[in-house]
Amino acid sequence: MESETSIDEVGYVARLIDTEMTILERMKIKKSTMYRIIGALSIYSITMIIFAITL
Amino acid sequence: MFEIIPIVIILAFLFETMDSCAGMGFGTGLTPLLLILGYEPLQVVPILLISEGITGFTSGFFHQEFENVNFKIKKPINKETKIMLNIAILGCIAIMMSVFLTYFAIKIETDLIKTYVAILVLAMGVIALFKLKSKTNSYKPKLLTFFSALAGFNKGIGAGGYGPVVMLGQIFSGIYEKTATAITSLSEGIVSLVGFASFIFLPVIMSQPVEIDFVLLPSVFTGGFIAALISPYMVRVLPNKMWRIVIPVYAISIGVYIMAKIYVL
Repeated sequence: MESETSIDEVGYVARLIDTEMTILERMKIKKSTMYRIIGALSIYSITMIIFAITL
Repeated sequence: MFEIIPIVIILAFLFETMDSCAGMGFGTGLTPLLLILGYEPLQVVPILLISEGITGFTSGFFHQEFENVNFKIKKPINKETKIMLNIAILGCIAIMMSVFLTYFAIKIETDLIKTYVAILVLAMGVIALFKLKSKTNSYKPKLLTFFSALAGFNKGIGAGGYGPVVMLGQIFSGIYEKTATAITSLSEGIVSLVGFASFIFLPVIMSQPVEIDFVLLPSVFTGGFIAALISPYMVRVLPNKMWRIVIPVYAISIGVYIMAKIYVL
């Protein structure tokens, strides 16, 4: 019951990561996150091409 | 005209990095600097709004990805999502009111009101520094509603200081600093997009469309977008202890900057 209450706490995930992981562990980036960063950069590139054509 | 302006990219990057890490400063810091560089308000304000809208969503998405926050779109939505939506809704009402007042040239923005915002931000920053040693900080939803409404009121009358009041208000209400940053980023993104839409559509409804100059957009967007990718990662990696100091110190410097703009510059 107590753990259910704490999971509902605001900022629970960030707090847990801070207490359970060292800075070096927090620096590691998941593969799925890397793909999303590449995806975001692709969207950025496409947007800049659209700007170059339309502005 | 498509133009890349290096100084604007650097400024946008620096202010967006601090905005996505500390939840404040993009509009307050960047607007006067761009005006000093010789750009007109119509070249600056709508561009910062749309840019902050896009980078706010990007930063919010990556804050979630780096687990600084846990937003839930599916029902039942959790507390973090509810807080973000509450702040965003109050902010949207405020920014529409602000655009409305600007459009009808109702100028209630005086040095006195700006001084009040500067003092408020300074006081909140100083109190946050004094509260650094207290470890127990339980969640206080009523206090958070008060600060969201106060920030909305300030923005609504065009006095600025929205980010610092929302951000420090969340910290006073017991929200973990890293999570507060993520909530502020996404809610500011929503508020800025609504602000941009109001900027475009209100004049159209009133049959007097405004012509916006997009010359700054590629540069502001470039600096802001890169910062919105990097900042959530910095928030994750660097310890929360550091953010507990950086956020109030940055808020105090913004308060001093607003004050200096009124009385010195």
